[in-house]
Amino acid sequence: MATARFRQRSSYINHAILIFMALTIILPLLVLAFNSIKPSSEFGANPLGFPNEIRLMNYYDAWVNGNYTQIFMNSLTLVIGTLILNLTVSGLAAFSLAVLNPRGIQTIVVGLYLLVGISIPAQLFILPLFLMWKSLYLLDTRIGLVIIYSALNAPFATFLIRSYMLQLPTELFEAAKLDGASVMQLFTRVALPLSWPVFLTTALIVSLTVWNEFLFAITFIITDEYKPISSILFTFQSRFANDYGLVSAASILMAAPIAILFMFFQRRFIAGLTSGATKG
Amino acid sequence: MNKILNIFLTFILTAFFATSTFAATKVVWWMESSADTDPTVQEMMCDAFNAEQDEVELECVFKEDINDTIRPALLSGSGPDMFDTPGASYIKIYQDAGLVKSMQEYADQYGWQDKLLGWAYNSGVFDGELYSIPKNYETMIYFYNKTLFEENGWSTPNNLEEVESLAAKIKAKGMNVYAYGSAGWQPTHEHLVGNYFNTYAGPDNVYKALIGEKKWTDPEFVEAIELLRKHMVDEGYWSGDLETYYSLDWDDFNNEFATRGSAMLMIGTWGFNVTATNFGETSDDWDWNPLPILNSQAGSAPNYQLATGGTMSINAASKNADGAAKVIDWILSDKERALKVTGSLGYGAWLLPLKYTDADFDPNIDPRQKRFLTEFAEASDSGNYGYTTWTFYPNDPGVHIWKDMEVVWAGDITPLEFMEESQRLWDQARADDALVPVGKR
Amino acid sequence: MPKFLTSINAISWYFLFPVIFIHFFVVAFPSILSLLLCLTDWNGFGRINYVGLENFQELFRDRVFKKAVKHNIIWTVMFLTIPVIVALIIAYLLTGIKRGQLFYRLVYFFPYILASIVNCLIWRYIFHPRHGLGGWFENQGIDFLAKSPFAMKETALYAVAWVDMWHFWGFLVIIYLTGMYQVDDSLYEAADIEGATKFQKFRYITLPMIRPIFVLSLIIIIIWSVPTFDYVYILTMGGPAYSSEVVANHLYSQAFQRMNVGYASTIGVMMFFYVGIIVGFFAILRRMGWEV
Repeated sequence: MATARFRQRSSYINHAILIFMALTIILPLLVLAFNSIKPSSEFGANPLGFPNEIRLMNYYDAWVNGNYTQIFMNSLTLVIGTLILNLTVSGLAAFSLAVLNPRGIQTIVVGLYLLVGISIPAQLFILPLFLMWKSLYLLDTRIGLVIIYSALNAPFATFLIRSYMLQLPTELFEAAKLDGASVMQLFTRVALPLSWPVFLTTALIVSLTVWNEFLFAITFIITDEYKPISSILFTFQSRFANDYGLVSAASILMAAPIAILFMFFQRRFIAGLTSGATKG
Repeated sequence: MNKILNIFLTFILTAFFATSTFAATKVVWWMESSADTDPTVQEMMCDAFNAEQDEVELECVFKEDINDTIRPALLSGSGPDMFDTPGASYIKIYQDAGLVKSMQEYADQYGWQDKLLGWAYNSGVFDGELYSIPKNYETMIYFYNKTLFEENGWSTPNNLEEVESLAAKIKAKGMNVYAYGSAGWQPTHEHLVGNYFNTYAGPDNVYKALIGEKKWTDPEFVEAIELLRKHMVDEGYWSGDLETYYSLDWDDFNNEFATRGSAMLMIGTWGFNVTATNFGETSDDWDWNPLPILNSQAGSAPNYQLATGGTMSINAASKNADGAAKVIDWILSDKERALKVTGSLGYGAWLLPLKYTDADFDPNIDPRQKRFLTEFAEASDSGNYGYTTWTFYPNDPGVHIWKDMEVVWAGDITPLEFMEESQRLWDQARADDALVPVGKR
Repeated sequence: MPKFLTSINAISWYFLFPVIFIHFFVVAFPSILSLLLCLTDWNGFGRINYVGLENFQELFRDRVFKKAVKHNIIWTVMFLTIPVIVALIIAYLLTGIKRGQLFYRLVYFFPYILASIVNCLIWRYIFHPRHGLGGWFENQGIDFLAKSPFAMKETALYAVAWVDMWHFWGFLVIIYLTGMYQVDDSLYEAADIEGATKFQKFRYITLPMIRPIFVLSLIIIIIWSVPTFDYVYILTMGGPAYSSEVVANHLYSQAFQRMNVGYASTIGVMMFFYVGIIVGFFAILRRMGWEV
């Protein structure tokens, strides 16, 4: 009984700490949300609080000026394309590094290669890459950008998936091998079903990166009809520099789909993690 | 494969149709985008051009950050037929690389030299050939709150002493002397540097330094920088203090000026439009003056610095250069139309450097704006003008002059060290043959 | 088929091939092209002149570069300590909580899903001297935050880092949680029976069990700190007076503002060199028996 009471008291303290940290995040976001429905005349007198007069037209303006429907579809195409390509190549690589040959020379060579690759600043290679893409007719195409995004995210995805696969029990693979499974079957029948939580985590993070990326989007997509949302928000910020209402609304429009997607996946994500833990 | 086939077919078809007479040549023009002006430019320039003739079809594309996007596009051999640049230092680099087309034959054919103001034509001439034409010209002035000045019995300053005593009076009223800030555009620093060079050291000395007859480390330039440092850091003339100056963007400081947060606004002539609009919402009245002369060696008033705000050029890889030249000629040919376009933009953009006469002006023009247009055209045409850094500096010293000015303000280097570095970069640019045309004084 | 083509060693290479191919094609090859430029004075167009090691001599004279390197080191140290400690504590507290856990996770992770440009917008507004907190205090007649921390040379770097950390630490929480949920509950139960304190359980059970993922997070932080760019670029452009300049920012301004592409490539080489040291360091750790 004594321990139970102790636990209860400490859980109040825990909640207090957790709530304090949550407020440091929620309050600034609230300011953004308030700004997005504030008429521009009110910003001077009421910089932080809830607006006296709600102006939802900020969203309409942002939607129309940003041609949001099409741009949303463009971004979605990029995200899905990148997920397919990136998770395939990274999953295969992680499987090789974690299960097939974890002590081999590959782990060191490829691991080092990807470690170096992850830290090369984009400014270093963007110009030669642009010329390569031009000559390969990949410039100003969505597939061209999908290839770039897949490559840029490959090191991180590979590391993350690998670190999860390393913890899979080797006995499972041994058993499957004894049952006559081929290497490819080891991957599709054993490794994939066991590590889908980490694929979800990876997919989420890769989606975020692609959705939010703007340097490559602006450089490699020239035609307006193919432009993703990030480059449009970038445009908004320089165009309507001080119309905080409009820019805030546009920012929220940009964040909304990915936020909803994240919340939707969050439940399955947690279920996957916990069930994976109990079964392991 | 599809794509290659596609391109092949396009090529064949274009070749076929190019010979037929009714197919209009298409000219694509990438312009620097600005939300306020794009619709007007589209309507009064691009659409109007297409409506007036059917030989050339002009497509205007408004680009954010055109400097970053145009470079790889030109380099890869694609890109638009025509494009904007911020000024001569860019043209110089493109010209070296063979990416921009010489317009000399068109200039001769259409007689552009007679249509443009002399300095404006010369600003685009490299190695004896014309490569660019300014889309706009501007200078630095200051606006002041006339009502506020009258209420307090202040008079506009004409020399350093008057500037400093006026500043003290303004500050005593709890206001800032000038509204300004660099959050919207970090290179606003160079506006101030240019102002102090031209009104303290004077246009003659700046000219000599530009053509290499004088050193930038000479005392008048170092003193000008020291004076700017004192006014910025010690006195907080601009928006109260250095940090606030760093934090305010265009809307912030324009508002501050219109709402009596500051008594004056030292800015380029692109400020006419927004100042008139903002004061329209208050009961105060505004006016403007050329910058006060801070030192007698800077010559006599008025002190107008010359600047081009953006240029137009033809891509060396353009297949439709003839069409592009027709577009340019159409733009330069009608002074009345040119004034109408820039007028609807508040004379802050698309003020083409043409030889306007009094009769070309709309009779309803605000007299304050007309005073500027006629006075400045006169001063610039007679060669009595100063030099802005962003029009007459080559690229490397040009970036240094605004980026490292912050280091002087931070107190990390002295004005002399700052000017020594500037001189070093100038020497290097001169050795690399990277200078831009200055014209004869 | 010959045996060496079907050996497990060969097959593991086949699985690695796609990722190596695509990454080499997009990143490594153009980078190598770019690195060749460090021996030239190319300005991004046309003429390329070979200048030997001139750019490197210039680099060691370059005061801004030295400053930027110093800032990168400060940046890395800050990110290795503050968000890591906070995220570890919060993740650990979260594992002990049943009610509201989902809510906390969503909140903490939320800034990470926002684009840098959105985060910067929020904080630039909050720290704006006329709007945000500064404006709010001014309206109350209090002279607080009247100067933006982004505009003061003493605080600019830390203010930018604050925004980046604000957006980043929730990511670490999720990463650590992933690891912590793989710790077998029976270990904690056993510890409870032994009468272990919360801290002891954390120190002797949680930390060792999540080590692979913890070390991974440290590597990620160190490596991501090297090319850190957007927050600095959007918020301060490295200013005022280079007080928040970082190496990638310096590279960018050399390449795109001053058009010294050759010199910018030289900075890239130095970044390579630095990353090489880090990677070598972890390779040594691995040799010493760490599972990284």
